[in-house]
Amino acid sequence: MNKAISRVFVVGVLLFVALIVNLTVLQVIRADELAQRPENKRQLAQEQRIKRGAILAYDGSPIARSVRRSGFYHRRYPQGTFAPQLVGYDSVRYGRSGIEKEMNDELLGTAPELGVQSWLDQLLGRRPTGADVLTTLVPDVQRAAQQALAGKTGAIVALDPATGAVLAGASAPAYDPRKLEEQWADLSSDEGAPLLNRGMQGLYAPGSSFKVVTAAGALDAGTVTPETAFVDTGTFVIYGGKVTNYGGAVYGPHDFETALTQSINTTFGKVGDKLGRKRLVAAMRAFGFWEVPPLGLPSGAVVASGRYDGEGLLSPEAKMDPLAVAWAACGQEQVLATPLQMALVTSAVANGGAVMTPYVVQEVRAPGGRIVEAAEPAEWLTAIRPGTALTLNQMMRRVVTTGTGTGAAIEGVEVAGKTGTAERGDGTNLAWFIGFAPAGDPRVAVAVVVEETMSTGGAAAAPLAADVMRAALAQAALP
Amino acid sequence: MSRRTTELLYLVLAGAVSTMAYVSVYAGRYREIHRATIVYGLVFVAIFLVLHIVVRVFLSRADPYLLPVTALLAAIGLTEIFRIRPALALLQGQWLLVGALLFVLTVVIVRDHTRLDRYRYLIGALGLALLVATIVAGTTVNGAKLWIHAFGMSIQPSEFAKLAIVVFLAGYLDDKKVLLSVPTRHLLGVPVPAAKYFGPLVLMWGLTLVMLVFMKDFGMSLLFMAVFVALLYMATNRIVYVVAGGALFAAAAGLAIWLVPHVGDRFSVWLDPWSKADTTGYQLLQSLFTIADGGVLGSGFGRGFLLYTSRQPVVPDLQTDFIFAAIANEMGLLGAVAVILCFVLFFWRGARIATQAPDGFSKLLAAGLATAFALQTFIILGGVTRLIPLTGLTLPFVSYGGSSITANLVLVALLLMVSHRTNVVRAGTDVERRRLAELG
Repeated sequence: MNKAISRVFVVGVLLFVALIVNLTVLQVIRADELAQRPENKRQLAQEQRIKRGAILAYDGSPIARSVRRSGFYHRRYPQGTFAPQLVGYDSVRYGRSGIEKEMNDELLGTAPELGVQSWLDQLLGRRPTGADVLTTLVPDVQRAAQQALAGKTGAIVALDPATGAVLAGASAPAYDPRKLEEQWADLSSDEGAPLLNRGMQGLYAPGSSFKVVTAAGALDAGTVTPETAFVDTGTFVIYGGKVTNYGGAVYGPHDFETALTQSINTTFGKVGDKLGRKRLVAAMRAFGFWEVPPLGLPSGAVVASGRYDGEGLLSPEAKMDPLAVAWAACGQEQVLATPLQMALVTSAVANGGAVMTPYVVQEVRAPGGRIVEAAEPAEWLTAIRPGTALTLNQMMRRVVTTGTGTGAAIEGVEVAGKTGTAERGDGTNLAWFIGFAPAGDPRVAVAVVVEETMSTGGAAAAPLAADVMRAALAQAALP
Repeated sequence: MSRRTTELLYLVLAGAVSTMAYVSVYAGRYREIHRATIVYGLVFVAIFLVLHIVVRVFLSRADPYLLPVTALLAAIGLTEIFRIRPALALLQGQWLLVGALLFVLTVVIVRDHTRLDRYRYLIGALGLALLVATIVAGTTVNGAKLWIHAFGMSIQPSEFAKLAIVVFLAGYLDDKKVLLSVPTRHLLGVPVPAAKYFGPLVLMWGLTLVMLVFMKDFGMSLLFMAVFVALLYMATNRIVYVVAGGALFAAAAGLAIWLVPHVGDRFSVWLDPWSKADTTGYQLLQSLFTIADGGVLGSGFGRGFLLYTSRQPVVPDLQTDFIFAAIANEMGLLGAVAVILCFVLFFWRGARIATQAPDGFSKLLAAGLATAFALQTFIILGGVTRLIPLTGLTLPFVSYGGSSITANLVLVALLLMVSHRTNVVRAGTDVERRRLAELG
């Protein structure tokens, strides 16, 4: 009998060993995996009990901050609708987006770089306190951009060309973050896509604003100079097709600079043809096309510009016939760009040819005010030679003084820019303006796109750019 | 050091540890340390000191480790119950008091467990009656019919029936073990004992089937069947009973999974809780998440995320069947393993009492009780950690539940009686032996 009892005991102990092994699997080996499961809402529910850090505008005013109500913290938005698609939301039901998502660890106070204080908190079982995130968004500039777009559909991105700081990122239509949860169903099904951040996610045919890229490539390669002579007959026949001017205009004999200021398609078609596919694509890549600009937002929140077909981004090596190259040189064909990308193009011209790494987070401030992370401006790409940049700068000034972009002029300040009008095929246009000011010492670069307008880039987009640049130049200090 | 002094020493240790745990939870909840917490701690220690004195007087040679382990487990349980729902901790404290009273009554009235053997049919019938009463008059909670409401209380009779059935089986199997181990006939080439001895065993199997179908109590029916098969094996030393019993229960379980929706649900949730995360799989998944969250060191007593601000527990039934999830969360892997080792220690002492006992009935009684205790622990712990399908059973001494803690305290009393008698028979003084003989 004792032998049998011992055997039963051994079997029992083995069962307990199995329990311990299984428990080890749950609490050690699979602990992270279980914590990450979407069914597991423990983390989110607990995080609502942490005082989440505030997201601040560049002047320190809060865009989003947390207040305590019955043991839980809730997001408040003192400035109402303020770059909601860029700042993002923080919702137990709908998750997180934008800066709220990207900077979540810092905002919750759990990021390792917050250091000893939060580790001690953990040891003592204290809840961490979130760090504040200071953004580069300048309230006056952001508001000017939002007001400029009021009632329209489109986007405005304003950058500091010397640093890459995002001064404003407006996308219209927008939404009121205070009512996000109650209006979620409408917002997510609205045809105007108010949740979409058009400035960084919207892909548009850049139209003639893209001629800056073509000109940059051609000038840099020495294919043309501003004085190179052309004759326009209203059409440029190539490869069994033709390139025509907007509105059927005929310009006659002119130089390359005039081709840019008057936005002459036939001439840019010829320049594109002379440059060829390889050099045109190389010029685009030098400005950042085919790459996701490293803005520091969650994956998918910023998209790459380039040539697209119905399936998505085409390879830069994809074949193009000469007609396609000629139209692509005019910003048509299958070229698509985000307003952010076009803002990077214009800021590279403003910044002597260097594309700065764009950023929207200026500082992370630990509770108590210690700065634990600060943005350091860095060059992302070298797009063109400084000499080419200067030449283009001067050509773009003439667009605003005598060309299609006079609507962007600001009194007492020299403005440089380029308009764009892309026909959408449904009778409406896409109006573009990209530019910077002051032209001699650029402090702000801007890209404006307005959807569904009957008007041109010069009429519908340039004045909006002027408003935003005026607001930026009125600032004593910019990031 | 005498056994009783050892016991007292460990009891004091358990008392000190549990008072600390309790104070920690209290401080975590109310952000202060109140005098009342110390008083509650002292009341708890006092209850076990009284049990210690009773054991010292009546069962002086009994095993010294069972009572301190019981006290420690009960303290951990009370602490976590208090952590989850303070009002229930007071009720559980009262049940502990009732259990202690039953413990004392068992020791004082029975004195010598071998006297129970004489009433084995009566005790067996009583156990059966308890189960029948549950089927007839029981109410259904969470899909299973386990409870009888009487005198304003809810009683789970199967916890007591478990004890009665083990006592009956120990006596019956000890009596018939020779006959049961000698096959007289062959059925399909397998030697089987005579039908008249085999009959009660089929009856037992039938009983577990009835429990499964009418009470929908998969856990208890699995426990009854497993204890029964283990006792048969230990009595006869014949593995064929284990194989046959396992096959019979597997067949019954298979049928129940097909035919009883409540049991089938539990099984399919075990296989794949993820696809039912919002419905039937919710409870098990929340349990796994809560356990995983504890990590190696745990979040600390009173510091884990176990309650929503509405004071609802994050896992439904956290204070009863799922109390181990709370323990694993707040005490971590190290604490949870320590608690498991407490159960193993209890099981080991029970098995040791059984092997050392001088007579067959005592052996089978102790072994049966220890096995029932260990299996119940394994079934519920395996269930909440998804090692085996989840079946509703309480974690002995730890879960909230009056029937569980009182019945298990009686179980401790019985084990201590076996241990005491063994040691008296083996190494007792003449006076002790005479006193034991007078009882018989």
